[in-house]
Amino acid sequence: MNIEFIKVMPEPLAGINHTKDSLWGNKFVFDSKQRTLLNASSGKGKTTFTHCLMGLRNDFSGQILLNGEDTKSIKLESWVEIRQRKIAVVFQDLQLFPQLTVEENLKLKAELTGVFESESAFKKLEFLGLADKWSQKCGLLSMGQQQRVAIIRALLQPFECIVLDEPFSHLDKENANKCMQLILERCEEQKAGFLLTTLDVNKDMVFDKEIKL
Amino acid sequence: MLKSLLFRQQEKRQLFIAAFGALLGITFLISSVHYLLRVSEFGEDSEILGANTLIVQKKVTSSSSLNLTKTDFSTNELSKLKKEPFVVDVKPVVSNNFRVWFETNDPYVPTFKSDVFIQAVNKNFLDVKSDKWHWKEGEKFVPMIMPRDFLVMLNTFMNASGIPQVSDDLAMKLKFRLRISDGQKEEWVDTRIIGFTNEISSILVPENFMAYATKKYANGDPGKITQIMVAGKEGEFGKLEKFMSDHGLESKNSQVVVSRLKSIVGTLFAVIFVISIVAVFASGLVLIQYMQLLMSHNKYEVRTLIRIGQHPQSVILAFFYYFVKVFGAVLIFGFIIFLIIKYFIDEIFQTGGIYLNESISIVSLLSVLLTFFIFAGASLRTAKKGVMQLFNK
Repeated sequence: MNIEFIKVMPEPLAGINHTKDSLWGNKFVFDSKQRTLLNASSGKGKTTFTHCLMGLRNDFSGQILLNGEDTKSIKLESWVEIRQRKIAVVFQDLQLFPQLTVEENLKLKAELTGVFESESAFKKLEFLGLADKWSQKCGLLSMGQQQRVAIIRALLQPFECIVLDEPFSHLDKENANKCMQLILERCEEQKAGFLLTTLDVNKDMVFDKEIKL
Repeated sequence: MLKSLLFRQQEKRQLFIAAFGALLGITFLISSVHYLLRVSEFGEDSEILGANTLIVQKKVTSSSSLNLTKTDFSTNELSKLKKEPFVVDVKPVVSNNFRVWFETNDPYVPTFKSDVFIQAVNKNFLDVKSDKWHWKEGEKFVPMIMPRDFLVMLNTFMNASGIPQVSDDLAMKLKFRLRISDGQKEEWVDTRIIGFTNEISSILVPENFMAYATKKYANGDPGKITQIMVAGKEGEFGKLEKFMSDHGLESKNSQVVVSRLKSIVGTLFAVIFVISIVAVFASGLVLIQYMQLLMSHNKYEVRTLIRIGQHPQSVILAFFYYFVKVFGAVLIFGFIIFLIIKYFIDEIFQTGGIYLNESISIVSLLSVLLTFFIFAGASLRTAKKGVMQLFNK
């Protein structure tokens, strides 16, 4: 999948001075199979970037093209297909359902595509050290635990690219590495890439390309 | 899973109140539609006079009581009336000129006997099947059409005797007989009721039987013609009424009481019908409002579901099916309550001598279906609009 940003400028960021190498206001092309790191400090629009890319907001000038199609003209039905099969996402605010258990949160996502069984989801949870949280409500988990559940949920679908918005912000190094390993394995399985936003570059992070905002 | 997410935490008190309101409204709606129809149909099937037909007689005045004016019709008067452009046909109502007694002749009912008055009218004026309305000498039964007042009187007697009252259908299955006599010789004739009338207050028998009895027990003298049947032209009934008024004629109007009764009961059910429409509409609105409230409470869930790839249509259908099921359950319960109410209302009517058609009217079932489809349509529209608004906010 080819993702093009053509002079995109979100309305809330229009008044800010952006550097010459910033993605905002310039032309950038992403290959979804690449592992891209989006490195920017707070307030530069990392979450805005993921939301614009996922079609969740259209308050920007310029164009975002997914395989040559303007995201603003993509219909909701097509977005459903994109979100189910092409682009997985870990939101910065996680967007889990606190009243549902971990199992229910994961099952809800897995049922959308029918690719994964509960057993597979449980193994991933086990790998990240959350096996005992399987039947616990997400609202009762710590932020770090919720973050790991959100990462697993995003991995329970087929994708060509996974968008990760500060996915390790509440994780210690060990857990962040484990999560990264899981993400890389899934990307490898599907020959997919990722687009990871972060506040700073970790030396353990594996990526092909780095862009700035 | 979706259902568990969207409907797990909700304040069900408002849902219960709305559903209860809808239940009352639906129950009254089915009941009122059913009884509006059944009451309006009451007596229609058993009416035996054709359309635009009147039984006409001369007004009885003080002078006629003193024999200064005549109350019978001459042949000349009949032929003159028949020539009027607004009249289709005129025939005399032939009355008995001999003695007649009527009595029950069935082992299932106690003996009841009474002097009666029988009449015969031309069969063209009667709306009865010709295979039932015929008689010739030697046949086993004489068919007769009974005035409904007579059945009410018979039921009063039954009630006083501690015997269950008889419906129209049952009365038509019982055996009766007529005794005809000229004071010297007499004859018993078995009869069967084939229908009822509110318009004629005497027992009607076929013309052949009347001719036979008149010949045998009244020396062939049919007596004076005091009543005639007049069929007016469609749409020119006013002219006939004016003619009657100008010539001192009047029509028998025994149906006034039934009409008045139908009118009162019909008005009552019409009022209930209007109230039930308002109740169903109001409770439907509350249910729809509750759906909006539920969607609003689930704003985060709806938005997140669609963000993680849930199809909006499946979220819309989850809300739609939930409320359609609630309303469907209300309709089923409403229908069951209607059946219970119907049992008691029919009992009350029957105690009062009014035997309505007991089958459930198709129109009342259709009204339930129509209500369901209107609600389903409104629910689908609300769910669609609500989900898309929540997602786009």
